[in-house]
Amino acid sequence: MEDREIIGHLYDIQGYSVHDGPGIRTTVYLKGCPLKCLWCHSPESQTFTDELAYMKLRCVGVEDCGACLRVCQHQAIALCEPEKSVLDDTVYLTKIRVLRDRCTQCMDCAKACNAEALFCDGYDMTVGEVFARVMKDKLFFGEDGGVTISGGEAMSQPEFTYALAKMCKEAGISVCLDTTGYCSFELLEKMIPVTDLFLYDLKHMDSAKHKSFTGVPNELILENARRLAAAGGKLQVRVPVIPKLNGGMENIRATAAFCKELGDAVTLVQVLPYHRMGIAKYERLDLPYRLVNVDPPEDEYMNARLQVMLDAGLKAQLH
Amino acid sequence: MYQFKPVSDRVAYLRERYRTSPVILDSEHARLMTEAYQKYAHDVAIIKRAKTLYYVCEHRTLRVEDKELIVGNLGLNYRGTSISPDYGMGWLIDELDTGLFDQRDTQLEHMELSEEDRKIFREIYPFWEQNSASTFVDKAIPSVFSDVLAGGVLSYRDKGNADMPTGHFNANYKKLINRGLASIRQEAQEKLDGLMGHIGPNDPGRFFFYQAIITCCDAVILLAKRYAKACYEKAETAEEPRKSELLMMAESLDRIMENPCQTFHDAVQACYLYQIVLALDGSLHGISFGRFDQYCYPFLKADLESGRITEDEAQETVDCFFLKISEMFKGRSHFVSMGGGGYTSGQQMSLGGVDAAGNDASNPLSYMMLQASARLKLHTPPLSLRIHKNTPRELWEAATACTSQVGGIPTFQNDDVIIPMMVKAGYSLEDARDYCIIGCVEPAGSGNDFPACGGPHAKCYINMANCLIVALNDGVNPINGIQSGPHTGKLSEMTDFPQVLEAFKRQVEFYMDWKISLTNMMEFITRNIMPLPVLSMTLDGCMESGLDCTSGGAKYNSCGSASVGTGTVGNSLAAIKWAVFDEKICTAKEFYDAWMAGWKGHEELRQMLIHKAPHYGNGEDAVDELASWAMDVYAQKYNAGQCLRGRMKAGLFSVSGHIPMGKSTMATPDGRLGGTPLSDGISPSQATDKHGPIPILQGAAKLKQSHDYNGTLLNMKFHPKSVEGQEGIDKLIRLVQTYFDEGGMHIQYNVVGSDTLRDAQKHPEKYRDLVIRIAGFSAYFVELYKELQDDLISRTDQQ
Repeated sequence: MEDREIIGHLYDIQGYSVHDGPGIRTTVYLKGCPLKCLWCHSPESQTFTDELAYMKLRCVGVEDCGACLRVCQHQAIALCEPEKSVLDDTVYLTKIRVLRDRCTQCMDCAKACNAEALFCDGYDMTVGEVFARVMKDKLFFGEDGGVTISGGEAMSQPEFTYALAKMCKEAGISVCLDTTGYCSFELLEKMIPVTDLFLYDLKHMDSAKHKSFTGVPNELILENARRLAAAGGKLQVRVPVIPKLNGGMENIRATAAFCKELGDAVTLVQVLPYHRMGIAKYERLDLPYRLVNVDPPEDEYMNARLQVMLDAGLKAQLH
Repeated sequence: MYQFKPVSDRVAYLRERYRTSPVILDSEHARLMTEAYQKYAHDVAIIKRAKTLYYVCEHRTLRVEDKELIVGNLGLNYRGTSISPDYGMGWLIDELDTGLFDQRDTQLEHMELSEEDRKIFREIYPFWEQNSASTFVDKAIPSVFSDVLAGGVLSYRDKGNADMPTGHFNANYKKLINRGLASIRQEAQEKLDGLMGHIGPNDPGRFFFYQAIITCCDAVILLAKRYAKACYEKAETAEEPRKSELLMMAESLDRIMENPCQTFHDAVQACYLYQIVLALDGSLHGISFGRFDQYCYPFLKADLESGRITEDEAQETVDCFFLKISEMFKGRSHFVSMGGGGYTSGQQMSLGGVDAAGNDASNPLSYMMLQASARLKLHTPPLSLRIHKNTPRELWEAATACTSQVGGIPTFQNDDVIIPMMVKAGYSLEDARDYCIIGCVEPAGSGNDFPACGGPHAKCYINMANCLIVALNDGVNPINGIQSGPHTGKLSEMTDFPQVLEAFKRQVEFYMDWKISLTNMMEFITRNIMPLPVLSMTLDGCMESGLDCTSGGAKYNSCGSASVGTGTVGNSLAAIKWAVFDEKICTAKEFYDAWMAGWKGHEELRQMLIHKAPHYGNGEDAVDELASWAMDVYAQKYNAGQCLRGRMKAGLFSVSGHIPMGKSTMATPDGRLGGTPLSDGISPSQATDKHGPIPILQGAAKLKQSHDYNGTLLNMKFHPKSVEGQEGIDKLIRLVQTYFDEGGMHIQYNVVGSDTLRDAQKHPEKYRDLVIRIAGFSAYFVELYKELQDDLISRTDQQ
């Protein structure tokens, strides 16, 4: 198969992505991740298969529509109590909900839902198609912008990721790879020549805690970071700071020391405050949001963590 | 990151006073106008106008506020205002009769008005009912052309058609401050002397014109001297250091207007006083300051070099000047407030850009203007930054930092599109390079142009959505069932998409022929009763030709219009093509019937059109090209027209007219419900832009913007998260630069999240100073009416 025909499983492509590496970037989000971080703000990125999502706000009610009820062959659509329309409070709408235990994710309802209240998270695209989409934005990239391949875990679809990065690189587009580092080193090593910058997450320095928060231990991740640095990869380290979980000063200091150990390979450390903007996405999938007892950190808290990185002699920034 | 300086105590005091004082309407100006019009009833129009101005300047009450450095007032009270009964005051009486006037809150330009003043307004109304400009226009236009107007495409109404003075020009402040009016008066006198006894067939108009100019010069000089006297009087009882300040102001006022200015303070005060007079003579309808940083900088430079003032003192002068501009507001109807709102007045200022030789023209005054707006969080004056290939990075950053704090101040204009466009329109290269922005986004010559960008008397708007509705209904707008346009068939009977396009094109051409016709009728009527000698006395060309600017005396002439609904029309055409002819989801008849039912009972189809059909601004070339085609049909046709004085100019912007226009527009084929807002400027329809800012800019860049001589307007909203830090600013600058490289003419944006705006609706007291760009102007969010606030919230937050 030609490189451009390799199929990837995506859940989004976002232009003018300003938080995923230098400059203006277009970020390609691949679906599926070996980690299950408690704070994950994209729950739809975790599974490798398509998922039915439901945005209740968009549902226009079965009085005017009801297409999902008509097409569902599994009796997986139930009615909610009628509620006032946001547009006209004299009108009551009966919206629906998905009975997840009956739903087979056949997506018949998503195809029938014109309001896109029910929709499918996940779609296939070939490398060639994604490349063409990225090229549309090329003029805006300037000298430092480009494409970021993210996830999920991009390295869980290594052939696609490599082929896309290579194609972009050959077209003169800068490539960032956003990775958890949880994959075999050979795959990462192969990416070095086609990757300008690795956006590399460090979530906890203690392996047991790492496992309890993300589902996997950290040895492979740390080892890959070391080997990547030694092999000439450039790393922008991203440290999500979640109070109570990994935000303790001890862990932050250990993270700083580790980054320092990687030497010049680390171009920047980003200290990223935990946020809850992903909650709505959990509701769409009827998944429980597990981090209910953690509040987003205050500026002061974050500045202290940033200071640890700076004191270690690292180039670091918030966000 | 670019840093803003702290403000002085004086400025902080003046600003607080401004933000906590109500607007108070009084009848003095209207009463003086009435007296003068009766006194000079038998003078020819231009003499009557000049003498009336003199009478007003002679008798009006002057104010000198505590602590202020720049003087000038429009009403009897602080933040006082007046109305122009000579253009039409029926709206005020109607609103008083119906109680609407008192129902307006600060969200609809509320004005306080005493019982005594109400009585006086009612007393003088019968006179103006017979003698205002609207009286003449209303008689001539709507009754005869009512069938055409029933289409809802053109913005003429049953009455009050000339309530809003023409406005939308840039007087020659440069000439005023460098020459002084004594010299202009002398020039007029010499011309007059030359005509004595030699008044040929083309000369009577010129004779009266020069006479009027002399009276206008005298009026303005008199007003300045009266302000000087008021300052001297205040100084008598004032304590130091205020006493010395007042004496300095008095000495300056005594000298300026008549003579060339000597200092930066002189120049700023002279510009402001001229602005007051222009506002008294007409209105505050897009009277733009033009390139303030160019014509005033030589005075600032000389003052700084000689050590006469410090930079801080100069900044304080600019701050005071900007505050005085913010205070200015002229009472206007509920209807007009709906299409504008937020106490805006369109007193545009341009900054940056290139000089006559094409080199960067920015200077320290350009930065002082940004400092004033950002630190004082002022919604007005609106600022336009002229961007070109060599705009200094620091100016980019200062402007980006400013607009991040004060929504839409400044907006960004692209010299590299506008200058060649103006040359094509007949401006010399040097004059094109000296262009300024008028009103909202309209490019025009500086001090040499009568561009009437707002059309004659604000009749510039064209409702393109109604044009499409009529086109697909055989020339009838179903709202009233009147045969308004030519027979172009019904959508239900159309068998291919080219028929749809052809129908639209025919209606556009029909209505543009009428638009041009009505514009010419309107200009003919008003130029004979409402000449503008006080503007003409400085505009290049008028003194030379002896013709008032309304009669074509200025060096450059044109008349603008503004098409509303680029996104709505583009999406509507795309929806029909997609659903009926490409995907064949329904027949033309089924589509038509569902649409004519206002989509009632057809929610599934409507949702499909909203979510599944392609939309303008989403990277779908075919739709972007349809929008481009539709707007260019209008631009080509309109630009080919001629007004009494010169060319017609197409433009793509809506101020905030897309909301009231939407209210009277039935459902559209894109799935939009009847009564909801149309799309604004060349921005995508509200909440249909799903793929971020890049496809929006690419879609907008596909429009043939260089045909839109009257300007285009792209409005965007960025979430603050996307603009954080130096990096965020760098990325935003890059985004705008690329849009301009691709042929974009103008962009403006707010940096605010919908979450914040929703909170501001609930807790207005917490957001008193939140300035936001609407469409053609900026305003305090809490001073906008609900539908306008909702419209802003409904725009997509670019992340």
